[in-house]
Amino acid sequence: MDDNRFDELIRDLPRSFNAPPEPPLDEMWTTIEDAHFNAPVPISTRRGLTSRAPWLAAAAALVVGVGIGHYLPSGAKPAETAPSPSAIGENPASPTSDTSAVADVYRDQTNRYLGQAAALLISLPAKDANGRTDAAFATRATDLLVTTRLLIDSPAAAQDPRLHSLLEDLELVLVQIARLRSEKNKSDLDLIHQAVEQGDVLSRLNSAVATTQSSE
Amino acid sequence: MNETQLIALVIAGDRLAGRTLYDTHAPRVYSLAYRLSGDAEKAREFTQDTFIRAFSRLSQFRGDAAFSTWLHRIVVTVVSNARRSELRMAREVELDEAHSIEVSAPEAEPDLKECISRAVDNLSEAYRMTLIMHDIEGYTHAEIAGILGVPEGTCKSRLSAARAQLRQELAAFKE
Repeated sequence: MDDNRFDELIRDLPRSFNAPPEPPLDEMWTTIEDAHFNAPVPISTRRGLTSRAPWLAAAAALVVGVGIGHYLPSGAKPAETAPSPSAIGENPASPTSDTSAVADVYRDQTNRYLGQAAALLISLPAKDANGRTDAAFATRATDLLVTTRLLIDSPAAAQDPRLHSLLEDLELVLVQIARLRSEKNKSDLDLIHQAVEQGDVLSRLNSAVATTQSSE
Repeated sequence: MNETQLIALVIAGDRLAGRTLYDTHAPRVYSLAYRLSGDAEKAREFTQDTFIRAFSRLSQFRGDAAFSTWLHRIVVTVVSNARRSELRMAREVELDEAHSIEVSAPEAEPDLKECISRAVDNLSEAYRMTLIMHDIEGYTHAEIAGILGVPEGTCKSRLSAARAQLRQELAAFKE
């Protein structure tokens, strides 16, 4: 096959290779619309929530700040301004140890949180046979939801795309569980179980717990 | 109304804005999905999956790249993930069948169209994707680089290598 013939074949590829039919736009839109706009539980994003409730972001930042302050070694304080060269010379380990201590705090918090989330999902009743769901589940989910949103924005999640993705899926599941308090019915619980199964959330959670524990 | 305003409306739950955004981008997304999969049903599923994912993550779109680039990154990921699972399953089936098939009937001589399809499908995923996007769907190197997250130079060298491999595979074909 000479060059001209080959070039001709390449030019003809748009017609000869997998030429697409007319896209079924309306049919596809119906599915997309059902999945996104008609979903039984609206997908609540971090951005949406914090924009609707800015006080929550402020409160969350305060909690994290207090938490980090609590866990930092007593001599280690985050530098407020850039230290002078002489100051660095006097205490060269200080900035590094601060960063490391903060990372340790995030890792510990993440590890603790993942364990609590796994415990909650495992203990969630398979079926709401009695027509009632323990409000304690909803309360625990609400508590974990705050931590989830903090961790999603944390350096630990920023550096680990798999953890970030897991946290986002967990956020959705926890939102659904938290709503059980006000909307007690079996179909909600079934939807939660579906979300957990479809996202393979529990096995990813177990894997994440194992990973964070092995890195300690 | 510009695209940024549309995106803000979709995030707020406006389905009409969602449909407008969808109508703008769906034909190109579907076309790429079809070229990459060669199957209308799969292309439909990939396109739906792409938009469902995109809408649910729209609040994460920061506008660093064009919306179409961001959207195409999703469709490429969706198709690649599906293709990887298909190839893995196909390999497992081949291994299972390898022992049971003793004599296979000789295949008929393929025509040029089949040969080209086979040659394109035999390319590595990166080469195949680049060739389909550039030579078939008409994306520029800059667009492909943005979508695949590689430098433009890498796109050009991948395209060149893909064409060379294609030429080699088709060299033996007698018309």
